[in-house]
Amino acid sequence: MISWITSVARTALAQDARAQEHPNHNEHPYPAPNPDADPQSEEGPDSVGADEKNPATVVVHGRAQAVSRGASDFNVRVGELANVPRANASDLLKLAPGILLTNAAGEGHAEQVFLRGFDAREGQDIEFSLGGMPINDAGNLHGNGYADLHFIIPELVESIRVLEGPFDPRQGNYAVAGSAQYELGLDRRGLTGKYSVGNFGSHRTLLLWGPNGANRHTLGGAELYTTDGFGTNRAAKRGTAMMQYEGAIEGGVFRILGTAYGTHFSSAGVLRADDVDRGRVDFFGTNDNRQGGDASRFSMSFDVEKRFSDMLYLGQVFITKRSMRLRENFTGFLLDTQHPEQTPHAQRGDLLDLNVDALTMGLRGAARYKTRWFKLPQEFEVGVLARGDTTDGSQYRSSTALDVPYRRETDLGADLGNVGLYADATVKLLPWLGLRGGVREDIFFYNVLDRCASKSVRSPSPNNPPGDASCLSQSDFGQYREPVGRVSTASSVTLPRGSLIVGPFRGFQMNISAGKGARSIDPNYINQDRAQPFAELAAYEGGVQYAGGIDDISLVARSIFFSTHVDRDLIFSEVAGRNLLSTGTSRSGWVGTLRATGTWFDEQASVTLVRSTFDDTGLLVPYVPDVVVRNDNSVHKDLVSFRGSPVRGSLGTGITYVGRRPLPYGQRSDTIFTLDAQASARWSAFELTVSSSNVFDARYKWSEYNYTSDFRGQAQPTLVPARHFSAGPPRIVMFTFGINLGGT
Amino acid sequence: MGRIVFAIATALVAPACLGSTGSELVTFEASAAGVPDVVAGRPFVNGRGYVVTLERAWLRVGAVFLSRTAPVSGGQTRECYASGGYVGEVLSGLDVDLLSSAPQRFAELGRGTRDRARSCEVWLTGDRVDAENDKTVILDAKGTAIRGGEVIPFEAKLTIGKNRVPQNDDPTRPGATPLCSLRIVSPIACDVAPDTTGALRLSIDARNVFANVEFADLPPAEGVRKFLDGSEDQPSLNVFSGMRAAGGTYAVTWIR
Repeated sequence: MISWITSVARTALAQDARAQEHPNHNEHPYPAPNPDADPQSEEGPDSVGADEKNPATVVVHGRAQAVSRGASDFNVRVGELANVPRANASDLLKLAPGILLTNAAGEGHAEQVFLRGFDAREGQDIEFSLGGMPINDAGNLHGNGYADLHFIIPELVESIRVLEGPFDPRQGNYAVAGSAQYELGLDRRGLTGKYSVGNFGSHRTLLLWGPNGANRHTLGGAELYTTDGFGTNRAAKRGTAMMQYEGAIEGGVFRILGTAYGTHFSSAGVLRADDVDRGRVDFFGTNDNRQGGDASRFSMSFDVEKRFSDMLYLGQVFITKRSMRLRENFTGFLLDTQHPEQTPHAQRGDLLDLNVDALTMGLRGAARYKTRWFKLPQEFEVGVLARGDTTDGSQYRSSTALDVPYRRETDLGADLGNVGLYADATVKLLPWLGLRGGVREDIFFYNVLDRCASKSVRSPSPNNPPGDASCLSQSDFGQYREPVGRVSTASSVTLPRGSLIVGPFRGFQMNISAGKGARSIDPNYINQDRAQPFAELAAYEGGVQYAGGIDDISLVARSIFFSTHVDRDLIFSEVAGRNLLSTGTSRSGWVGTLRATGTWFDEQASVTLVRSTFDDTGLLVPYVPDVVVRNDNSVHKDLVSFRGSPVRGSLGTGITYVGRRPLPYGQRSDTIFTLDAQASARWSAFELTVSSSNVFDARYKWSEYNYTSDFRGQAQPTLVPARHFSAGPPRIVMFTFGINLGGT
Repeated sequence: MGRIVFAIATALVAPACLGSTGSELVTFEASAAGVPDVVAGRPFVNGRGYVVTLERAWLRVGAVFLSRTAPVSGGQTRECYASGGYVGEVLSGLDVDLLSSAPQRFAELGRGTRDRARSCEVWLTGDRVDAENDKTVILDAKGTAIRGGEVIPFEAKLTIGKNRVPQNDDPTRPGATPLCSLRIVSPIACDVAPDTTGALRLSIDARNVFANVEFADLPPAEGVRKFLDGSEDQPSLNVFSGMRAAGGTYAVTWIR
């Protein structure tokens, strides 16, 4: 029997050996996903053999790998595809199929993610984590589950596991469309400094370090970035720092992770297409140059994995401090209508000024037991994710003339709690038939203080009329009341999930999966003692995947048919400036992917087709792309030798095609087609890179909407829906010089 | 084999790319006109017994809006306008000759969604509808009124600004009568659905504008007696009421 210690040791040995014996780890063929990972083996995909007879001689590092849940479980090591230009860590999501990223609100605003027929907005429908530490903001006023990934330095991302669908009991809150887990690693050891300069006044300084002798998960990095931004009002400044130390303890590993991030950015927001057509505003212009925001994130995490006898113990604690300010104007001068109790006024402007502060603390814990039944490996795990969030969120409207707030729309303080238990089993029924799954039960707690609970009053007191105040201290007929209100509730949900795995047969493996997911509801919607503070999803899929190779080329191909249903979906409201609850939606579709990896190239392509409809009307869900095609490609080779060292060249390209997305009122958006490319040459310690996004300088509309607005481009308010868009970035070229000292 | 692959691909792609989110955005032509019986020099009798003959009658229409909200009776408080609910709009203003029943086209196409409107609005404004003051002459009319042998030549050049705001003695409702509410004529009962075929027609009956005007109360003057541009005398108040009479002055139809 292979001992657990040996297993963990082998992983560690593999990683250390890889780091120390193969300084250029990316030269190895891309490891195929582990669709049928033997639950008896916890080693990572890059493990190599070790001396099992003498496990005590190896240094113990490494951690357990998750078992694949089927064809929709994309455990992607970035590898050579790091040569494809990525603006930020969000861009790495494109390594999974069916993902479209847009951003209508500036460099410091989280990307909007579309995945498999879901408009997951800024993370509301995807559970994000970094090294096991949750990223989604519970109770964020802009969007419950808002996930800003900009605090992750993309060069430090080693792998990302995107599980499309809720098929793993470990997936928690927000895992409606799926989950994405980032893991950090740094292959190029030593001290690395990079300086990038590009058009639009862009400058980026990046420092990375990874001591030789430590494994690649011990790392640090810091980044400073400034840009004037393309077009008008898109300047941004950003500072990021990350450190991670992974050390060994007897029979296991521990890890300390710290991150720090701050940004200040401007945003052009959205434009009316008819204003652009008439030349009233430039394609890259803005209607309100006060838009933009600030964000910060400081977090720490400590986790440990340790083997005790026949059981693996996993534990993690984390703490995160977040703040965010957003200033957005979607509607111009439309919403400030005169109310009788107000002093007479004209429209003062609809600029939203939203502020969120949050403190998150929590833990993860699990224990995994392995045994053999009927000579087949079996695995059982129980675990928990518990988090508590203290949040403050407020939203004001600011006047255009004075830039001062004239109305408080929302002012909430909330204590939110979530405890999710799960039990998971990986059962081998036959050598070619396995069942993976279990059940999860979550309970959500809400204690919400609405500091602006009384906004209107019937028959106000004539002696003390409310006037222009937003939050009133009187109830009907002028009776005094405090302007606050508190509500609290709790509710639980049970979420079964499972996958039946058949195979592999000659490299082919099939799976049928089903699962339920849940998304907690915005504290705005909580009512006293009313249950069901969540939306539920049911997902089903059937997939087949092939993992094999031809000569030294590794091939992984997948074909997946899927279907999902959400009982209460979120649909974007330009009036509220965020998503609001809607009716149920259903979606079905198909995903096909292919990854081919050779000694000198790495190619990944995917196609996703999906149809999303409302349950009550059968009409299409707006904004969701029904066709997404993505291709990532990297070629790399030693070109010549100079002074005894090879000059290594690499070329990476990323192609995105998005079909015409359905928009409200029977409209369709334009298609999106972009090509990003990067070329680099590395010799000895030096590296030169030129990268370009949107190589063809295509002028495209990144996000498109149909709604009502009035930016005073007409003599009178426009009250009929019109096309709006945010401009996609033009060609952005960056030149980077890098140097590495003390690396291996 | 190729045909099979193509068939499978088509079967997969087609359902994904078909369908609609409902409704549709459309543009349409729009025009305004007087009614056939009201022309220059042809007299009509108003509610006060005056035989009125108009020589000139122009009304400034700032915009026309179509709403899916059905008109309701009663004096409930309403916002001048609110986001959502509108299915059509004609934004290019037009000075309508009320003495001509020939269609007078708005300069720009109207925009709308392919949904049915149950009520309509006419905005009588030259500036923004919520502008604090608007010097634009909304009604420009000239004519004579005869009753009992008394001939009263008159002229009206009326604006809608602060001169129309009634005195408000309720401290709890300082904004109960915003200027925009004085400039918007609503709800005008209608039943139209914007479409790419046909056109929107706004008909304005000038007779109704002067229906309740007591011309004898106009300020005395030698020659032409002029309407005061205010809200304190009967003629000015009643001609303003006539301009804002959603029920009789305006009709919105769809001409195919």
